[in-house]
Amino acid sequence: MIDGVSLTNQDLGIPVLIATLLLFVGFVCKEWLERHRGKFILNTSIAFFSLIALALIVLEPTRQTEITDRQAILRTQGFAARTQDSLLDAHKGIRVLDYDPSKAIGTELDSLTGLFIIGNGVEPFNFWQFEELPTFYIPNPAPIGLQEINYEKRIDLGSTLRIKGTFNTPEKNTYLVLQDPSGNGLDSVQLSTGKAEAFSLETIPKVTGTFVYQLTEKDSSGVLLKSEPLPVNITGKKIFEVLILNDFPTFETKYLKNFLADQGHKVVVKSQLTRGRYKFEYFNTEKVPVYEITDKVLDEFDLIIADADTYFSLAKSVKNRIDKQLRENGLGLFLQPTSPLFNVGQRASYFTFQRDYEQEIQLPSSSTTLEKYPYSIITNLRVAPISLNKGKPAAVYKQVGLGRVSTMTVQNSYQLLLEGEEAIYGKFWTALLDETIKKEETKIDWEAQTEMPRKDQPFNFNLRTNQDSFQVMDLDSNLVALLQHPLIPSLFSGTVYPKQTGWNQFWVPSDSVSKFPFFVLDSTSWKSVSIFKKIEANREQFRNESQKNRTVLIDRPISLFIFYLIFLLGMGWLWLAPKLFGD
Amino acid sequence: MEMGQRLLRNFKVHWQRLLFLEACLYALACACFTYLLFNNLVLALLLFLISFFVLVAIIQPWRISLRQTSNYIDAHIHHVSFSSGLLLEPEDNLSDLSKLQRYRVSKTLEKGLKSLNPPHHLKRAVGVFLGMLLIGVVLNQLDFLEKVGLNSTIDGTPKEINFAATDTLSKKAAIPKLISQKITITYPSYTRMVKTVTTEPNIKAIVNSSIQWQLQFDAQVSEVSLAFMGSTIPLQKNGEGYSIELPLEASGFYSFSFGTAEGAEFTSDLYSLEAVSDTPPEIEIIGLPQYTYFDFSDPKRLELKSSITDDYGIAEAHIIATVSKGTGESVKFREEQLGFRELIPRGIQQINVSKLLDLNALKMEVGDELYFYVEAFDEKEPKPNVTRSETYFAVIKDTVTDQFAVEGTLGVDQMPDYFRSQRQLIIDTEKLIKDKPSISSKEFKSRSNELGFDQKALRLKYGQFMGDESEMGIGPSKASEQLSIEESNKKADGDEEDLLKDYSHDHDADNEHNLVAVEKSEKENDPLHDYLHNHDDPEESTLFEESLKTKLRKALTIMWDAELHLRLYEPEKSLPFQYDALKLIQEIKNSARIYVHRIGFDPPPIKEEKRLTGSIKEVDNFQKQETIQVDKPYDAIKSAVERLERFIQGKEAFKAEDTSLFTEAGTEMAKLAIENPSKYLGVLQGLKGIQDNTRRTIENYKLVQRGLLSALPRTEQVPGIKAQTSDEINSLFLKNLDTYD
Repeated sequence: MIDGVSLTNQDLGIPVLIATLLLFVGFVCKEWLERHRGKFILNTSIAFFSLIALALIVLEPTRQTEITDRQAILRTQGFAARTQDSLLDAHKGIRVLDYDPSKAIGTELDSLTGLFIIGNGVEPFNFWQFEELPTFYIPNPAPIGLQEINYEKRIDLGSTLRIKGTFNTPEKNTYLVLQDPSGNGLDSVQLSTGKAEAFSLETIPKVTGTFVYQLTEKDSSGVLLKSEPLPVNITGKKIFEVLILNDFPTFETKYLKNFLADQGHKVVVKSQLTRGRYKFEYFNTEKVPVYEITDKVLDEFDLIIADADTYFSLAKSVKNRIDKQLRENGLGLFLQPTSPLFNVGQRASYFTFQRDYEQEIQLPSSSTTLEKYPYSIITNLRVAPISLNKGKPAAVYKQVGLGRVSTMTVQNSYQLLLEGEEAIYGKFWTALLDETIKKEETKIDWEAQTEMPRKDQPFNFNLRTNQDSFQVMDLDSNLVALLQHPLIPSLFSGTVYPKQTGWNQFWVPSDSVSKFPFFVLDSTSWKSVSIFKKIEANREQFRNESQKNRTVLIDRPISLFIFYLIFLLGMGWLWLAPKLFGD
Repeated sequence: MEMGQRLLRNFKVHWQRLLFLEACLYALACACFTYLLFNNLVLALLLFLISFFVLVAIIQPWRISLRQTSNYIDAHIHHVSFSSGLLLEPEDNLSDLSKLQRYRVSKTLEKGLKSLNPPHHLKRAVGVFLGMLLIGVVLNQLDFLEKVGLNSTIDGTPKEINFAATDTLSKKAAIPKLISQKITITYPSYTRMVKTVTTEPNIKAIVNSSIQWQLQFDAQVSEVSLAFMGSTIPLQKNGEGYSIELPLEASGFYSFSFGTAEGAEFTSDLYSLEAVSDTPPEIEIIGLPQYTYFDFSDPKRLELKSSITDDYGIAEAHIIATVSKGTGESVKFREEQLGFRELIPRGIQQINVSKLLDLNALKMEVGDELYFYVEAFDEKEPKPNVTRSETYFAVIKDTVTDQFAVEGTLGVDQMPDYFRSQRQLIIDTEKLIKDKPSISSKEFKSRSNELGFDQKALRLKYGQFMGDESEMGIGPSKASEQLSIEESNKKADGDEEDLLKDYSHDHDADNEHNLVAVEKSEKENDPLHDYLHNHDDPEESTLFEESLKTKLRKALTIMWDAELHLRLYEPEKSLPFQYDALKLIQEIKNSARIYVHRIGFDPPPIKEEKRLTGSIKEVDNFQKQETIQVDKPYDAIKSAVERLERFIQGKEAFKAEDTSLFTEAGTEMAKLAIENPSKYLGVLQGLKGIQDNTRRTIENYKLVQRGLLSALPRTEQVPGIKAQTSDEINSLFLKNLDTYD
């Protein structure tokens, strides 16, 4: 075949060839019978070319040509007619295409030399189709409503649910109200600029479970304009077992143990009365005296609270035992500060201190000043502050293997209780102990990859587990297929297409605890967020660098006129010649 | 006046009267109706007057003129031939013919008017009046039947107890109807309140009242029970109906439920039961200062007047008087219960009582103190309310106990043996005066001089409290005596010192336990400071409060005079000064006293043989085990909120085992509702609707969830174990984190 030439009806090639051959044989036979008239060679040749022309008429030959001016407009959802008209004006003969994410567009794109996308843009999962094509994106203005939103979809009861985001509204003085699942207002913010504005709302949930909080927009007179769902999964904390070791009974421990025991935690207190004599107190637990700190004893506890004096006076072997439990099993150790703590050095106490001569500390939102040791704790990569106060950290934890050791510089925190600030006392110790306590290892950890799951759209999730064989089911007890990561055997991923909006759930038949609730949004929820994200993604993808139209080779059909003419003249000669040059 | 004209006028007046009567009838109809409906005479009278004036203003009977009257007569009496108007014309203006006609008309009218009545709607008015009266009587009768036996209505119009089926099936079946509901409240006998019978199911009564419900149904029902704050009590069948009697102990909510023969169950709405507590009596003591002081020579009588009130009746009231005798460790208390002069009749609601407290009759002596208060009891049963008034004080001033008692355990007793009190000085001086005739002049002078010295010693002693310096030991050195007097004269006003410390261990001293605010002087950095008495610094002197100091200064000045006269051998002249000094000193001491209730602590005796041996043989390990019931007052509410969320999302439907959860949540909620019924009653009723399947709708679920969520308090911050993933790579990273640290 000649370079650059091809046939449109290539698949008809063989039948046409056979037919042409048969016809040609027929012509040759006819000329052979009349060879006495001479002109056998001439007529055979003419018949041959005529038949070739006929065959080409059927096969329609084409020839490749280069073009650079074949552009199109791709109209995506929400395009503006004005933008389209301007483009049509500026580029004569430009084609107009419509975008439908569910239909293939590749072949149409192949023949184009350049493309304008107007509207909200194409779906990010279609971006690959536009990689070769010089594409210009003319974005729509930012959508009205919620543009960005960021919050923890799974929190512990007692933690603060913080919702941050950007809201775009043309109306001045509208309000954003955070509502609980039943519609009680919890927090609100006024948007006064009439432009896109960042906001932050917060609340402390009261109940565990899967709930849909609401973010509602209300105008200045309180009329509800719009409401967006905020699905949250609130989980409770579990009770723990704590061993408190004291050199002598102190008020600090007395109040702390009462605080913990009142919450139902299992508390064992061992405080020395005099040489060799101890006071054992057991709250919510069996009466098993702890004389010797063995591995078995340590295994039973999630947290050890020891005053520095007791800790330093422990035998080296015991200290090593505790250290090992910290590193290997993630035990928590809280060192109650006493003055030796600040003088023994890092090797013995895990921490380094610096004298700061400050004797008092004020916790945020508390009116009580607490005493403190005149030292501050030096933080570094492994020593992280526990957020109790502003400024120099009053408490820190250090990651030691899997476990954590923490301490603080505050003395006599029970002053808060005496001043009646129970809530602040609770907050103080919750922050301290939550960072320290041994964490419960979940067998299966779930992680949603798709930020806004929607009905009939792919929802990707990851799953981490050390289990060898397990199954994941959806709400209708259908098995969910999982893909194991080739390099990390504990990592699995999966994709489902949720069939119903609202709360969906994955569960594992072999493990009744492992459940993964996820909320599937309906098509109207968070629409502005999707649009905003799509516009941003398109803008980023089709950043207007100086792109020239590409050159495209296309097969242009060769005009069939010449073949018709050859065929007509050939047939005319073969018909006319015997008559002209008759016997 | 002419006869015809008079007839016309009479007719007009008659007409006007009829119109007034008509207005009056309408007004009366309104008034009677109102009276029968509301049984309120004042309202009826008021309405009568208002409607009468309004109707009169509409009908306007005064606008009936003679001209109108004549027109009317012309229209209705043919014989008048439209000439009655002639009667109104002055006779002089008329022609003869007119006069004739006029005469004729007046004659005709005389007969004709008897049969003619002015236009009126009296019949209609009477009809309206009677109609209204009838309706009123009927309504009144109905009302009367309903309220029969009801003496006092409880606020609001009575409600009927509504029942609804607890499951959807039985909704089709006819609900047995409540024919009568009768609630009898029997108040505790001491309140003297009559039994109340009502139909209002929301009950408000005094604590310990007994409440009886009587229900009667039109069909056969079974298992009628009353649910009150989580407990269910069956009703007793008596005769046709069911009844139950319960004592009212605490506020709460209740509902009724019953079943039918077909097995359907019905339950009523929630109604409130409010227990009003009996307030304790109030005592007011009239016109008595909290502190009263008597001199020994005073009459020592105290008139106590008090007003006592109680909401239902006072049972008893009396005075509790405590007499304290002696001082310091030898103080003794004696308590007495005194009645009032008046007899307090049992059950009286307000009474003014009085009592004359005679301190002598209470066997009080000089220096004794009386503390008394009024105590009143009401008749509440089983335990009466008690109120106590504030404590009042009466003190007989003591002028005798003016002496320094020295603490025996002081290492050094700095008090001289011969130290004499002012009282002693007075006695000695009086003795000297008495002895004067029988002793020699020299001895008299000598003794007088000695007394003068004693007076000086006393003055110096008190002077030390003022910070005055005495460089003289209070020794009997005659040689230095003169000098020291001069010295102290010079120093008396200027120099001050802090000698108080030395003597202030004295338990009878004025400011032993810092009862009076004493200004503390700034401590300097001198390490020896605590061990020295630095007398040079006037700032070091112990300062009494201003009035005390003035009094003491005054006493010292008087002592000077007393001493002067003694030194001049004039004890008679010295004596008044001594008395004055004594009185002042006593006042100073008494002013620093306050009354403190006695508390006692008896330390266990120390076993001397074990003391300081260091033996811990008997000290043993101490073990204490306690399981603390975690107080989670809103656990069921929290679970109910979560459960409701599932119902609302449509993921799950109500199951049989949820009933107990919602029942419990209802009980928790009821506790909140008692404190704030208006806010939570709706939620409580919604909860009940869910519980007994009368309102298991999404709307109700939402309503209840909303109410429950808003009722929950702020979440407490509690530490606990959080879940965490154990990722191999993370663990490896953490374990190796400190390898290169």
